[in-house]
Amino acid sequence: MGFSISVEDGQGEATITLTGELDAAAAPQFKEAIEKVAEAKPQRLILLMGELEFMASAGLRVLIFARQKMGAGVSLYVIGSRGPVLNTLKMSGFHHSVYLQDVYTPE
Amino acid sequence: MDKLSLPAVLDSLAELRRYARNAAASAGIDEDRSYQLQLAVDEIATNIISYGYKDAGPTAEIAIRAEITDDALVVTLEDEAPAFDPRLRQMPNAEDLARPLEDRRIGGLGIYLATQGVDRFDYRREGRRNLNIFEVRMRHE
Repeated sequence: MGFSISVEDGQGEATITLTGELDAAAAPQFKEAIEKVAEAKPQRLILLMGELEFMASAGLRVLIFARQKMGAGVSLYVIGSRGPVLNTLKMSGFHHSVYLQDVYTPE
Repeated sequence: MDKLSLPAVLDSLAELRRYARNAAASAGIDEDRSYQLQLAVDEIATNIISYGYKDAGPTAEIAIRAEITDDALVVTLEDEAPAFDPRLRQMPNAEDLARPLEDRRIGGLGIYLATQGVDRFDYRREGRRNLNIFEVRMRHE
């Protein structure tokens, strides 16, 4: 299955698409992408996770890293997450800090 | 199921998850609980590889085996890293989990997810080996 990631920079927002299995072996790629998009200082970070089949805590730690790197003023959106991956986000309390949406709708 | 030994590197995680997934399928465990088991195995194996074997050479190995009984699927991870009982690691409590991400401490989340994901998580030191044991109970209808 593996893992793949793509990044798109837009006006004031950055979109990262995560596909496959995000484990500790794959997390450094995600972290690198965050570091790259953070340089443009977007106001919104949009993570498309509809095709993410697996996510370990290594992926959660990159989300924490993103928040701490980009600052509390940047809105984090997790879009399309479902099933057990969504369950992990909620169990870990991330729904308090990110917008969980089916379809991206800026708040 | 036959024991599987793999190099103690992060690239072995996918293979360890596949083993757990196959074991769960053989035991007739549903998809959701199978995923939780795979996550638990993945998190503990990640700790073993990243911390337990931090100073180990390229010959270090991690092994996985599974036993299916009438009552349960028992998956065991074996390694020869220094003794480490994950249950003694401080885990996030409800207050930590409600904290905004900017105030989060990084540690303990993986072991929290691992221990929450199975019916029983156990640890034993046997000689030079660490045994991390995951049990998923059968739900006979």
